[in-house]
Amino acid sequence: MTRARLLILFLLGLITPAYANVTLRFICWDGDTDMPGIRNAAHSFEATHPGIIVEVESVPANYQEKLLAQVAAHVAPDVVMMDPGNFQKFATRDALLPLNQFFKDTPTFDLKGYYKNLVDAHSLNGQLYVLPRDIAPCANIYYNKNAFDEAGIPYPDGTWTWDYKVRPELREKDFLWVVQQLTKKDKNGRTTRWGYAPAWQDLLTGMFYLSTGARLANDNEHPTKLLYDDPRVIKAYQFTADLALKEGWVPSATELKSVLQQEARQTFTSGKVAMMQSGIWEVPSIRKELIEGQPGYFDWDIALAPAYKDGTRAYPTGGSGYAIISQTKHPHEAWLLTEWMAGEAGMMELARSGRAQPAIRKLALSEPWIPGPHTPADQQFPKNRIITDQAAPFVVFGSTSPLWPEVSGLAGQNVSSIFDGTKTAEQVLKTGNARGNARLQQLLKEQHLSLFDWSKGIVVGLLLVAGLGAWVYLPERKIKRSPRAKREARIAYIFVFPWIAGLLIFTLGPMILSFLMSFADWDIIRPAHWRGLQNYVEAATVDPRFWVSLKVTLLFTVVAVPTGLALSLALALLLNAKVKGMPLYRTCYYLPSLASAVAASLIWRRMFQADGGIINSIIYGSDGHGNFLGLAHLLQPLATANGQINWLGNEKTALPSIAIMSLWGAGGGMVILLAGLQGVPQFYYEAAILDGAGAWQKFKSVTIPLISPTLFFSLVTGFIGAFQKFTEAFVMTEGGPNDSTMFYMLHLYNNAFLSLRMGYASALAWVLFFIVLAFTVAQLKLSKWVYYEAAG
Amino acid sequence: MRLANRLVVLAILVVGSLAFLLPFYVMLAMALKSQSEVAVTSMWAWPKQVTFENFHEVLTNPNVNFRLLLRNTTFITGVATIGTLFSSAVVAYAFARMSFPGKDRLFLVLLSTMMLPGIVTQIPSYVMYANIRWVNTFLPLTVPAFFGGGAFNIFLLRQFYLGLPRELDEAAFLDGASHWTIFRKIVLPLSGPALATVGMFTFIGTWRDFMGPLLYLNRSELQTLEVGLKTFQAQNGEKWHLLMAGSVLVTIPLILIFFIGQRYFVKGIVMSGLK
Repeated sequence: MTRARLLILFLLGLITPAYANVTLRFICWDGDTDMPGIRNAAHSFEATHPGIIVEVESVPANYQEKLLAQVAAHVAPDVVMMDPGNFQKFATRDALLPLNQFFKDTPTFDLKGYYKNLVDAHSLNGQLYVLPRDIAPCANIYYNKNAFDEAGIPYPDGTWTWDYKVRPELREKDFLWVVQQLTKKDKNGRTTRWGYAPAWQDLLTGMFYLSTGARLANDNEHPTKLLYDDPRVIKAYQFTADLALKEGWVPSATELKSVLQQEARQTFTSGKVAMMQSGIWEVPSIRKELIEGQPGYFDWDIALAPAYKDGTRAYPTGGSGYAIISQTKHPHEAWLLTEWMAGEAGMMELARSGRAQPAIRKLALSEPWIPGPHTPADQQFPKNRIITDQAAPFVVFGSTSPLWPEVSGLAGQNVSSIFDGTKTAEQVLKTGNARGNARLQQLLKEQHLSLFDWSKGIVVGLLLVAGLGAWVYLPERKIKRSPRAKREARIAYIFVFPWIAGLLIFTLGPMILSFLMSFADWDIIRPAHWRGLQNYVEAATVDPRFWVSLKVTLLFTVVAVPTGLALSLALALLLNAKVKGMPLYRTCYYLPSLASAVAASLIWRRMFQADGGIINSIIYGSDGHGNFLGLAHLLQPLATANGQINWLGNEKTALPSIAIMSLWGAGGGMVILLAGLQGVPQFYYEAAILDGAGAWQKFKSVTIPLISPTLFFSLVTGFIGAFQKFTEAFVMTEGGPNDSTMFYMLHLYNNAFLSLRMGYASALAWVLFFIVLAFTVAQLKLSKWVYYEAAG
Repeated sequence: MRLANRLVVLAILVVGSLAFLLPFYVMLAMALKSQSEVAVTSMWAWPKQVTFENFHEVLTNPNVNFRLLLRNTTFITGVATIGTLFSSAVVAYAFARMSFPGKDRLFLVLLSTMMLPGIVTQIPSYVMYANIRWVNTFLPLTVPAFFGGGAFNIFLLRQFYLGLPRELDEAAFLDGASHWTIFRKIVLPLSGPALATVGMFTFIGTWRDFMGPLLYLNRSELQTLEVGLKTFQAQNGEKWHLLMAGSVLVTIPLILIFFIGQRYFVKGIVMSGLK
């Protein structure tokens, strides 16, 4: 901020009325890059609005979960960050204030200054709920100038178009021709440099069908019909799949997916693709990754992505803004803050970082967003930033409906098989559309439910607690006990008291509440409504994913738990040997359980990568023609597109891959069993040796019985944990491909926090509870093999 | 052990260790590279030019007050670990070595608290803690640890206690010792490996906990390291070099804890004289 502007702000501050000690809480999901700007803007707000204190909180992950919890508990922040895909969840449930009522509070405010389609995307039924802060047209083609120079093609100026076939006669005005020219292949026909890559698969496919005029739903705000079977959509999917699989000009979806999204940028900065399409947010990182004078540097700029051959432009997009939570006690002050943060002051701060294009058009046309004479030398690139404004009128937002995540997920459930070439777009999208539409119609059915009767609910809850207590205590109460036993029982209750108190105070309440909610329609935000047994009926009869996810989870559990336990035991025995430096080895084996989950997921992606992944390199050799231990032949039926196995992207191998991945956590089980092994007294072994027992005999007759209590523990907790497996599928596969890793917990999570059907999710949770309970009781009943020294 | 056996074991140990070291190696390699080198080199490659700049940047980052977060994390983890160790050791003793009406069924209730997915109790718990005004304090993250320390730990210790011979306490009973004395003087000293396991797991789990601190702590000066690290991983703004440098710093104390903890993995008793 210049000194003059600060002075003006200060003078403004003198004439603005003081506010009597109002504290506003403000939360956003921005991270390290943008927080300094946001904090600066909040400070300048405080300076100009004496008496208002702003508490800025950054929640860079699990944002919605935290916000929902706070809304439910009536401790929500006053001003919150929101985006088109999510605000409707809150707005339709009256959790956000419509902003139109406040416009008159600030005379200088002018909504017309904001990009119109961005305003529309944040409005519902004619009311604005989110004041836009930034817009992010995904219309930038980042291009490598060296690659263009080499090929003798002029740099793109954005006037190019695309068509379903190459148009050599148009030369550099034809997008596909340029992509083709910039692609390099070796003498075996394998691509060594792609002409173009989208930062994520849907970006290219989306741009294609959007610019031919197709949309995925009949209405953005209130979809009643899915249109995935539109011939233009089908054609766009098939066409983008073919560009990768048949032509080799564009990385395939598996090649894109096996690298993380930000690494698509790195394929560009490392020269593996000549052009990359993405949003403007890549700029700060590219600036740091391409430094003049450093090895690998090349000159680069951005150009506007192509229009369809008839001149129609349409780009997928993102954007965000700030909204006011209706629970706020200070709506007027909250508006002032919103208008400040999503106004010139806040936007200028964000524009400076080069990541967030201001939502006010005037600002998107001037410095610092557009480089000019006052812009520092290291922020001059990319030169052609003006295209961000040119693209803005053509951005098309996705559906804002809260039903969208679930129904679009069902419709697009199997698109990965288009991109690996195993199915045609026509087959996949027609069935997908029918599946998604069927679910949409179910969800749209208006239900007239009566409010959940809490007085009855509390009575039922108390009865449940009383019933549980009676079930535990009454049967054995009558047993005659000696005075000594009675005294022991009294002391025993004192010993278990902390846990019983904790159960009653902290654990049982939320459990019973979720049990009650399993009979309710509860969206977390609004009061619950009575739904009777309908949640359970829906799970068993209507929900297309209930049985699928149950099957996936069961399959995983019965395979992964015994294998994991066997590996843990083997490791524990190994690490119990008397070898020098054992503490060091033990630490190494336990490290995967300590290292960050992010590092682990990075590594596993690289292991399973279809092209050049570690596992495939071993099986097929680095040239792709190897046949390690005959595995290539053995696994032939599983291979896809490039003749190798796309581990995480193939329906048949994704679940086994996750099972293999979870074996890495065997270190945890190893520690427990290692502790158990210390309890095996040496003299048992000595006695066994005297009896002439061999190694196997010793293992079977001494080791196993004596560590059976710990083995039993590992087995029971292993099953409980496996039934609730979540993270790997959530991070690595999102349930795909084609629901082959749709774990029960993932389905439950999606219902709870994406679709806000917490009542239904509670029913799912209690179904799982009783399944796991049955499993555990069976294990307890069959636990005769467990040998307890104390009992014998 | 014979020499051949010894060599085989050693070979497996070394090869396996290297394989299991991979994630840490990748973390470290990325942490020691500059941002531009992270972008252009393979993640398996050791940095061409080792730089400690990332560590410096993490430690001096204005958004992540590392020292303050370290203090918060250490406090929460320390208190929760102590609470868990004490209370689970006591509760498990009753389940393992005492008899009282309803014990078996109560034990099943204990196990069942692990069976309901936390996703559906998350909001009700939050509402409860908000109502007693514990949100934005360390209380929801520490106090529950003193109430049994969780079913997992109680179950683990119970199994271990059940493996100790009865003869031990019967002799003590004849000498007139109380349960409390037997627990303190006989059972606890013999349970070193199991207590070390519970202590290590709780320490590591609390140190690494993300959802708890994220939900219950609002003000940034109350946050923990694991939450602070996420700021390098925000949507469309991942900074791998900083994230990995931070992860290395956050992991080192855990490695130390494990290294120390596993030293308690020694034979608890010489029982030759008992049988």
